[in-house]
Amino acid sequence: MIRRPGRSPVLAFIATAAIIVAACGPAASTAPSQEPSTAPPSEAPSAEPYETMTYPADGNSACAIPDYQGQIGLIRTLDARTVEFNLCKPDAAFLSKIAFSSLAIQDADYLEATGGGGEALVRNPNGTGPYKLKSWTSGSDIVLEANPDYWGPQPKTPTAIIRWSAEAAQRLVELTSGNVDGIDNPGADDFEAIKANPELQLFPRTALNVFYLGMNNTKTYWKNEKIRQAIAIGIDRQRIVDTFYPPGSSVASHFTPCDIPGGCTGDEWYEFDVTRAKALLAEGMAEEGITSIETKLHLRDVVRGYLPTPVDVATDIQDQLKTNLGITATIDVQDPTTYLATAGRGELDGIFLLGWGADYPDVTNFLDVFFGVGADKGFGDKWDDITDPLAEGGAVADQAARDALYTTANNNIKQHVPMVPIAHGGSGTAYRADVEGAHSSALGNEGLFAMKAGDRDQIVWLQNGEPGGLYCADVTDGESLRVCEQIAEALYSYEIGGTAAEPGLAEKCEANADSTVWTCTLREGVTFHDGATLDANDVLVTYAVQWDAAHPLHVGQEGLFEYWSYLFAGYLNPPAS
Amino acid sequence: MTRFIIRRLILSIPVLIGIVFVVFALARIIPGDPCIAALGERANERSCAEYAASHGLDKAIIPGIFRVDGQIEIRPAEFPATLVDNQFVLYVQGVAAGDFGRSLKFGLPVTDLLMQRLPATVELTLYALTFAIIAGISLGIISAYRRNSIADVFTMLIANIGVSTPVFVLGLVLAYFFAVTLNGTPFELPPSARLPAGVVVPALATVWGLEGLQGPPRAIIDFLSNIFTFNALVRADWGLLGDVIRHMILPALALGTIPLAIIARMTRSSLLEELGLDYVRTARAKGLRDRTVVLRHAFRNALLPVVTVIGLQLGGLFGGAVLTETIFNLAGVGRAVTEAIGSRDYAVIQGFTLVIAIGFVLINLLVDLSYAFLDPRVRLR
Repeated sequence: MIRRPGRSPVLAFIATAAIIVAACGPAASTAPSQEPSTAPPSEAPSAEPYETMTYPADGNSACAIPDYQGQIGLIRTLDARTVEFNLCKPDAAFLSKIAFSSLAIQDADYLEATGGGGEALVRNPNGTGPYKLKSWTSGSDIVLEANPDYWGPQPKTPTAIIRWSAEAAQRLVELTSGNVDGIDNPGADDFEAIKANPELQLFPRTALNVFYLGMNNTKTYWKNEKIRQAIAIGIDRQRIVDTFYPPGSSVASHFTPCDIPGGCTGDEWYEFDVTRAKALLAEGMAEEGITSIETKLHLRDVVRGYLPTPVDVATDIQDQLKTNLGITATIDVQDPTTYLATAGRGELDGIFLLGWGADYPDVTNFLDVFFGVGADKGFGDKWDDITDPLAEGGAVADQAARDALYTTANNNIKQHVPMVPIAHGGSGTAYRADVEGAHSSALGNEGLFAMKAGDRDQIVWLQNGEPGGLYCADVTDGESLRVCEQIAEALYSYEIGGTAAEPGLAEKCEANADSTVWTCTLREGVTFHDGATLDANDVLVTYAVQWDAAHPLHVGQEGLFEYWSYLFAGYLNPPAS
Repeated sequence: MTRFIIRRLILSIPVLIGIVFVVFALARIIPGDPCIAALGERANERSCAEYAASHGLDKAIIPGIFRVDGQIEIRPAEFPATLVDNQFVLYVQGVAAGDFGRSLKFGLPVTDLLMQRLPATVELTLYALTFAIIAGISLGIISAYRRNSIADVFTMLIANIGVSTPVFVLGLVLAYFFAVTLNGTPFELPPSARLPAGVVVPALATVWGLEGLQGPPRAIIDFLSNIFTFNALVRADWGLLGDVIRHMILPALALGTIPLAIIARMTRSSLLEELGLDYVRTARAKGLRDRTVVLRHAFRNALLPVVTVIGLQLGGLFGGAVLTETIFNLAGVGRAVTEAIGSRDYAVIQGFTLVIAIGFVLINLLVDLSYAFLDPRVRLR
């Protein structure tokens, strides 16, 4: 966005306020003092001074607001290429978070022109990415074409076509017949057939997820730690993985997958030991004054990467509980759309099967979500010796210090057994053999722009479902986010096929000494698909629109901007609950 | 005739009103929360409350009856206050004004989605029905004419297998055989979609320079435009027509096989009955050729029950289209409804089901009308 003063009422309001605020100086920012925010222009097209912006416009950090839950305190632009984020506390996962698809940078003028949402924005994305949207035929396909003005290397295949089918068997037939070049999530039973087919190539997907057996420590038998430990030791997890999980899966040594930096610190999970488990169970039952345990085994019959065959796995666990521990479990298949909420409210009194997939590759996205102070009531009451190190770990930037804290947290999770981590369920992608650069992404955001489909001028990708929308600030489904990755870019991005955050639209983002202020410098010469030039105010507006629930452009598709709260914990001006 | 049609159309109104209510109620009785379905794993109370408010799902379903956390809750005290301000009244008001609401998942008007999805189903159904009628009647005639011959036994064996093979099994077998096994041969057929990837069909409104046209005329043109066979024919785009037909063969075979078998069996039994009657014997005694006796005399009289069955099968084809569209990845009404049920997309479930119901009513009317055409003894009053 090249600023055009007076064109936009909303932005003009913010900019005017910013100038006034800048003249007075920020009141509560933790950032080092800055020069007045009306900086000289850094870009050739405009002879006028660059209008820097600050959010909140009054220059007061949101961190000072009572009951504010969020991590972002203040955002301001220093010049056309520099934007500064002031955080309420150090955030070691900041770069990993700003690489997430929902934070892809939008053109501020375009956001305003579309009213910040609705069909105009949701179905007509205007990103900076290597591909741009050519057409979206509802129910049928999405066609992307190469962005000729892309700042980086051109896509290896000029056209990318994204289609969808919910049936794994159908997807494989499409791939085998040569109708498509790549498919997501081939059926677990088909992995061997794909490997054996010389015309296809298989890429197991590193598992950034976890499947666990949950127990609520306020319910029945699960109040007793020894009984929970007995369950942890008495389940043969290797057998479950060997029998039901596709290649690429692994038995969980920790709740957090080991591919995430610092995820597997501390002791490994208990070894399978029936004798020890029975002894612990007997002790626990004696303490509770009971002679037998009858429980339910709750699940939802929904296939996920972490749980490919829910009922089969539940049946095996039921069998193991009976055989190894003498526990009678009744399988309780629940309605999938209410299951999560029921579990989250802590209403399941039996053992429940659930899992989690990573939003961004950091320990906080696993441990804090489930065991931190803000976790739901699924496991019942929280343990201070888990929540405390997690709170500290999320605020410390130094990796060694974080590792020490997460070691404590992981060991205490093992001790208290709020759940039993079973597996990190692998999945995969499959491609025709002549697709160069084919890969799987642990985060599910395969980069089609990095693939060359033989001598064809189009690459056809078949995924599970149709995207709900392409304004990815306000979607939650992976199918949408993957398409967004081709079209739009964030300040940082994840390496292709990996989890490390690397510079995207920002050349660099640097933290101050205590990691509470991050200053990002944008690349030069980046343009949006509609020709507008990227500048720092685009970044600020992109973030502000999601952050501030009262922002006039906080519209989106549903207006929920869910991922913002997952990434930065809270909104500015949240609606009254 | 005109009075009959008008009377039937008027009588169908209460039927459609009943359907509106039943579908509305059923959609909301399905366990589960649209918010959880839409927002997935991470939906929480705050986001679900906002979601419900933004889509009007926090209002009473009908007076005094609410849905809270996926459970139906009756609040008699709120009955008067929600007498008018409830989801059903708002929905009926919208339908009366031609507004079926907006899709919860896509945020698009349901009428727009219908315009995109219905043509695929109509096209698939017509292909399947054409196949079923031509093949079914032909096989039925052969079978009746060659009664107890090997041809008869073989035909009826095929018919029995056809009627007892589920669409999803037949569909997958056909897709695998023609797309994978015969891959690289001239008999290879695409296993999915309506067109090859990346092929874009020009809208007729654009081709004809009618982009400025709005309202129902534009909707009709867009609808016809999305029937690719029609689009290709009127533009004389034979390449596109070939692509469309190639992509429709397998779904039409899968969808049309069960109706084919039923039509064949009905044709056979009906024709056999006619062939045993006196007028047939008389015709033969007059020296008419067998072909004339069977096709011109007996067959026409045997058609009445066959037409009834065809009408019923046409309705059934809409149901079968759900599976066929899923297996062959066709963006039609059937797949849309299936997906909408999964995502608790109430507006789409209601709107699409209502349109299918209207289709049923009209088909039944057409079947009744065809009786008079086929048998002059039938008088429509």
